Amino acid sequence: MKILDEKQDVLLKRAVRGDEQAFLALYQKHQAALYRYALRMTGSPWAAEEVVQEVFLVLIREPEKYQVARGELGAFLYGVARNRVMKHLERLPRESSLDVTTADGSVWHEPADPLTPMMIAEKRERIDQVREAVLSLPAEFREAVVLCELEEMSYEEAANSCGCPIGTIRSRLHRGRALLLAKLELLRDTPRRASAGRK
Amino acid sequence: MNCEEFELRGLDLDRLDADPLEAAAAAEHAEDCARCDALLNSWRKVRSDLRLLREATRLDAAPARVEMRLKQELRTRREARIPRSMLAVAGWAMAAAAVLVASFGWVRTHHKDVAPGMVAANSRQTASVPGTSSTPQDDQILLAADNDNGEFTQLPGSLPEQSGDQAILQVRLQRGALGRFGFPVDAERAAEWVNVDFLVDEDGQPQAVRLHQDAQKAAVVQ
Repeated sequence: MKILDEKQDVLLKRAVRGDEQAFLALYQKHQAALYRYALRMTGSPWAAEEVVQEVFLVLIREPEKYQVARGELGAFLYGVARNRVMKHLERLPRESSLDVTTADGSVWHEPADPLTPMMIAEKRERIDQVREAVLSLPAEFREAVVLCELEEMSYEEAANSCGCPIGTIRSRLHRGRALLLAKLELLRDTPRRASAGRK
Repeated sequence: MNCEEFELRGLDLDRLDADPLEAAAAAEHAEDCARCDALLNSWRKVRSDLRLLREATRLDAAPARVEMRLKQELRTRREARIPRSMLAVAGWAMAAAAVLVASFGWVRTHHKDVAPGMVAANSRQTASVPGTSSTPQDDQILLAADNDNGEFTQLPGSLPEQSGDQAILQVRLQRGALGRFGFPVDAERAAEWVNVDFLVDEDGQPQAVRLHQDAQKAAVVQ
């Protein structure tokens, strides 16, 4: 049986005893999603990196905080990440990072795409606009959009991660969608109006 | 479904976890309502934009240095845990050793005390013997089990005992006190303190006496 197939709580017990392989298995399973969540919430690769590190440090230093009876390990880790993200957002005004650099600081490369350079540039611009629009949402609505639309979680999963009822998530998502629609429609219309003005 | 309900739940139409009945009702409403249909189309564009962002960041992950730092932390904690556990083991081992030593000591002491215990009982009985207990030298009584560095002198009026159930009672007293047992004592040295062993019978009566070797040099006991 592969180590990744083992149950999360078994892996966690092994990791707590100092089993590096078990810990790495847990880390590999969850880190990317947590990192993306933190990055989308904060807009800062540096902050996202810190959040992921702190989440797993909690797992190393205070494993007793996770109780199997209270839910999946993934939801627990999201909960810890969420607390850290919210603290980060409280500490700093919104960091609307529009850079397209990766967490390593290197330049972001567009995936291989059979598009013309013009199309690639437009696509990148559009991605930047969406990123900015998401980051401009109030934290609670942003979180609902990030979890339900970008991470494609179900309402139930998102509610577990946020520690709130499903109705609250739906309500936040509704508000977030409305704000996002308005922002992106506005951005979508701006170039059109500009080009219309030129005609 | 009306427009208000559509605004609240109609945009979930394309979600995988959408309620099929609600989704059907929303689609039906959108077909009949131009405003809600426009809202749905706008949202679908936004969703495609969000999908674009999702795809662009699909492979985003924490940099390798995070994993390195965490591994380091894990190793540090594991190494710190080993000496702590060894300390605990050492502590238990020391406690066990202390208990063992104490038990051994107690057993030895207890074993040694068996004979003197009898002597002690005898000594209490001896206390009633005139000449040994009535003197203030009783406070100086010391018990000894195997002090046989000299021959015992039978006390006047006692018979040699062959049973072997006898104990030795060590007493420090003034030489003059030996006179009470019928021994002649030099009057000039009657006040000297000497260590004397009494051979006490099982009925507590002294049978024989001897002076310790250092005292014997100057003994006057005949």
